[in-house]
Amino acid sequence: MPDARSSRTRSGESAAARKRNRRLKDSAISLGMAGPAVLLYSVLMVVPVIVAIYLSFTDWDGFSEADFLGIQNYTHLFTDPNTTHSMWVTVLIVIFGSAFEIGLGLAYALALRQKSRTNSVFRALTYYPHVISALILGFLWNAILGTKGALNTLLAAFGVGPVGFLFEQNLALISLIAVIVWAGFGFNVVLFVAALQTVPLELIEAAEIDGASRWKINRHIVIPMIAPVVTVALILNLIGLLRAYDIVVSLTGGGPAGATSTYAYVILAQSFGSTKIGYANAQAVFLMIVSAALALLVTALRNRSDRAAGGDA
Amino acid sequence: MSAETILVQAATAEAVTTSAVAKKPSRRPRRTKERPNVVRIVMLALLVPLMGGPAYILLVNAFKTQQDIQTQPFGIPFGRLTLEPLLAAITSPEYNVVASYGFTASIVIVVDIICIALAGPAAYVIARSTNRKTRLLMLYFLAGTFIPGAAMVIPAIYVLRTLGLVNSFAGLVLYDSATTLPVSIFLMVGYISTVPKDIDQAASIDGAGRLRTFWTIIFPLLRPAVVTILILNSIGLWNDFVSPQILLGPSSEQYTVTTAIYTGISQYTTDLTKVFPNLLLAIAPVIVFFIYMQRHIISGLTVGATKG
Repeated sequence: MPDARSSRTRSGESAAARKRNRRLKDSAISLGMAGPAVLLYSVLMVVPVIVAIYLSFTDWDGFSEADFLGIQNYTHLFTDPNTTHSMWVTVLIVIFGSAFEIGLGLAYALALRQKSRTNSVFRALTYYPHVISALILGFLWNAILGTKGALNTLLAAFGVGPVGFLFEQNLALISLIAVIVWAGFGFNVVLFVAALQTVPLELIEAAEIDGASRWKINRHIVIPMIAPVVTVALILNLIGLLRAYDIVVSLTGGGPAGATSTYAYVILAQSFGSTKIGYANAQAVFLMIVSAALALLVTALRNRSDRAAGGDA
Repeated sequence: MSAETILVQAATAEAVTTSAVAKKPSRRPRRTKERPNVVRIVMLALLVPLMGGPAYILLVNAFKTQQDIQTQPFGIPFGRLTLEPLLAAITSPEYNVVASYGFTASIVIVVDIICIALAGPAAYVIARSTNRKTRLLMLYFLAGTFIPGAAMVIPAIYVLRTLGLVNSFAGLVLYDSATTLPVSIFLMVGYISTVPKDIDQAASIDGAGRLRTFWTIIFPLLRPAVVTILILNSIGLWNDFVSPQILLGPSSEQYTVTTAIYTGISQYTTDLTKVFPNLLLAIAPVIVFFIYMQRHIISGLTVGATKG
């Protein structure tokens, strides 16, 4: 580091030695400043991951000696019907949940992009569930969608029902995805509105003068310009949906007959409560690998969008 | 100016207009030929019952008898509205949501303090470092954002058990603090990079050590980033369910808002006079916070997401 002061030596001390001392002292201070954070994070975030990876190769039951199994736990992931079923449930939630969250997010962001008091009220209306715990939203919707819930009471007034929103296997999964989308799309609205504010007005005006319709302007100018943000939002949604747990606990409890048991729900509610701790850890590590793969994808895409954002004049 | 710095600055924005991606926010003036857009009106009309409905149901049913909730969930029987279910929930001897406010708030406050106290100096070292090894620390912390809490909280129990911190407030708070570090450090590093280095050098010439330089000179300049971090952490911690559920088992007899609701409601899902008032009490503090801090929350969420 260049120093502002002159590097003239004092008596009996060479410049090099003083420089070395100062550098040592500097790294000691740096270590002292960064040390606590590194220590806490390593002990409670990194070490558990290492422990989980180690246990995932064993048949540990939580009490007795653990024997090394090799990759047997990991091959079991794809042959165990309970786990594969929860994977399919999760894949459906991830695909349909993110498609609707992005689609609705984009549609409402386009409808609410102009600055006005009414629009900000409507925006708040779309994303307020985002600040409420997913567990509580699940209980609320459970009270609304139950057999004697508000919705069935309403349908009964029209002579329909009762509909087993949470009691028929396919309907329960659809209800779960609908509630997840209901709770999640408003976040995308906020994100996309912020991105839409950056689309240069001149472009839109030029297109208007050329007689382009509103739909065409959105389709060919506006949406391509915010594409990087949409991509990042998409992957964030994917990762969030991949880990769906709280809302499953409160809305359906994984039922009926496991129809809404997501992968994360199976890990926390079933596997770790059993004696197959080694297998539970393999499930957890696999979830981490998939999350990490998606997160790396986000980072790569974000870097690309950063360059795009940094590149315009 | 990198997009990173712009992102962090978005957190400082006074309005939502500030972008999370671009250089300068462009104000869009009112369109000259604003046609009434039927599609838009229909979309917004749908929003009111779909988004407002559940909130309305929660609010009005917290003040009704079981029979009124079941026969007319959308109605407001003015003659028969009652405060009894709400008062019963507030004074309930077990799984009391209101009683868990304090415990939950203390988790939030302690974790917030630990997070800032640890993340700040670490971010300063990373942001101001000239050698590559220290820069790698950022990547080390960023790797933490790939770790799904739902999957790794159980292995964390084994570590806490070794440390003798299982089923304790200390264990939960330390674990929660560790999980907040990656994103907090990331946001702070981005923000510190926008502070000119001359400031540090001036402080060092005046004889301030690095730690003192950070806390007395740099830290006050990071206010917007700190506000963002506190908001993201606080909402996340207040709503967190997995870590208190797993790290504070029933044997600890300590309940956060979410674990109290979970334990309580699982017992009486059919008694709606218990369900609605308790849910209302659980979200009331968050809604108050939301209304009060709305602008900051929006920009904070935007930044937090794009930095995720």
